[in-house]
Amino acid sequence: MDLSLLFAQALSGLSRGMMLFLIASGLSLIFGVMNILNFAHATLWLVGAYACYTLWFLMQEHGFAVWVAIPLAALGVALVGWVIEVMLIRRVYARELPEQLLLTYALVLILGDLIKITWGVEDKLIARPAALAEPVFIAGVPIDSYFVFVIAVGFAVYFALWWFLNKTRYGHIVRAAVFSREMVSALGIPIPVIYTGVFVMGIFIAGLAGAIQGPVGSVTLGMDMAVVIQAFCVVIIGGFGSLPGTLVSSIIVGEVYAFAILFWPDGALALIFILTAIVLIVRPWGLFGTPMRA
Amino acid sequence: MSAKKLAWAGAVFAALLAMPLVLGEFWVLVLTEILILGLFAVSFNMIFGYMGQLSFGHAAFYGVGAYTTGLMMVKAGVPLGLCLPASMIMAGLVALVLGYFCIRLTGIYFAILTMAFGQLIFYIIFQWYGFTGGDNGLQGIRPPALLDGPWSYYYFTLLVVTAGVIVMWIISESPFGYTMRAIRDNPQRTRFVGVNTKKYMLINFVVAAMFAGLAGGLWGPFNRSLAPDLCNWHQSGVPVFMTIIGGPTGFLGPLIGSVIYTFLMAFVTGFTEYWPLTIGIVITLVVLFLPGGVWGLVERYGAALPAREGPPPEGEGGAS
Repeated sequence: MDLSLLFAQALSGLSRGMMLFLIASGLSLIFGVMNILNFAHATLWLVGAYACYTLWFLMQEHGFAVWVAIPLAALGVALVGWVIEVMLIRRVYARELPEQLLLTYALVLILGDLIKITWGVEDKLIARPAALAEPVFIAGVPIDSYFVFVIAVGFAVYFALWWFLNKTRYGHIVRAAVFSREMVSALGIPIPVIYTGVFVMGIFIAGLAGAIQGPVGSVTLGMDMAVVIQAFCVVIIGGFGSLPGTLVSSIIVGEVYAFAILFWPDGALALIFILTAIVLIVRPWGLFGTPMRA
Repeated sequence: MSAKKLAWAGAVFAALLAMPLVLGEFWVLVLTEILILGLFAVSFNMIFGYMGQLSFGHAAFYGVGAYTTGLMMVKAGVPLGLCLPASMIMAGLVALVLGYFCIRLTGIYFAILTMAFGQLIFYIIFQWYGFTGGDNGLQGIRPPALLDGPWSYYYFTLLVVTAGVIVMWIISESPFGYTMRAIRDNPQRTRFVGVNTKKYMLINFVVAAMFAGLAGGLWGPFNRSLAPDLCNWHQSGVPVFMTIIGGPTGFLGPLIGSVIYTFLMAFVTGFTEYWPLTIGIVITLVVLFLPGGVWGLVERYGAALPAREGPPPEGEGGAS
């Protein structure tokens, strides 16, 4: 096995990891702030991919089609997220964990069938934009340029989120809410508004990730099922509510998967579950989390 | 057990005995499914309702039980009567290993660890082509000649499920069952009283898994084939749905949920492929407007039924 193949595989793993990061960051943020584990997160990600397909399909004769379709799809998914938050999630803030979990699980089933009704059962293919169709050569190794794009977007979203959480007033409020909702509320900040904002933001990132996933391969029904469990694993390994933790564990999971596929294809996913189980047993609050919520 | 409860149980059992006599084959098959999944759901509620932890990997034990019976019958021709206890033992052994870790966690972490372990079991069964047949599944599981028919297999299932449910009822009403309630309501205090809570939780976890394994064992000969999807996390969702619909606060809640869920599925899938959409809406409505499920409703308004023993059902997720 030569070095260039390993390098290509590492980059493919990184791109996979960054896609997981885009999904898991919103999941982690929503759980950290609202204490709600959103089962439907990856299903909304899939809605983003399908929405991107439709928007691209409508404009496909133009070269800019994908570039317009991606942000529009993300905004559309964010709108769906807002409706879900206001109509459903808001009603179960005060409920126990199993009921919240079940409500978002029911959303997986409902949205899954709505996707089937809207887009049918055939796989959808989105042509890659011309700029990303050819491989790029990094150190003489041909690399899928779309992977480079996914990695770039992943890091861009990470830095944007980091800046928002650490450098802006609203970000400070969100971080404070992760630690103590009661205290934030006592300071006169309307918690429901923060909740809705965080939920919609998380769903927007998921929609963006889905739209970007569109041109990677074909968009198929049920893609969300495999992804949601892996996103849970990422969030657990990194620690709920920790942004750097989510980034690091996304990359770990992406790379473990990419290299396990080379050496032990059957065990790739099993390895990720074992990793998650070990973290849960040894350090339930994750690599970067704080044990206070455990 | 009060005389009133006994009378109710007797009436339900008599109805279950009599119903197949007037029903066609399709509905007898549905009834059998209700019983098997009902046993699965009641075993799930030993962890959810009585221990207060949400297991999202319970289908793993159902699947282990199903494959134990299926493989023993197909590959070694072992009689069903021996396979079912073997299914219980296998599921119990797997639960002993996994439960050792799971019971160290609570809440969301318990839910996700059981889910991760459940998916692990799923992938093992899914990938192990040489032994389990992988995603080709396992075909040709035929019940013994005596039980080879919808009616006879129904009565056999009724017998096994009733026995299983009675044993679980006895456990839930025993000092052990009340210790589990104490651990659910206040683990710290229960520890101070001198109870080894971890040990109790592990035993409860293993017993619950054994009955899930029994339910799984019954499934193979009923369905004639097995697929790895039996232990996927979707299947783990089934007892959760049933319990939430039926109500976790009553011992029989999950069984009521199984009746509603399975009948609804048999009915709805008759004319539409959008069963997930239907059950998703039902679950949403139950969560939003009927917390405590059907049993919660019965407890609140049904004076005719046995009075509740515990606190009011407002505190969700607990059996009284």
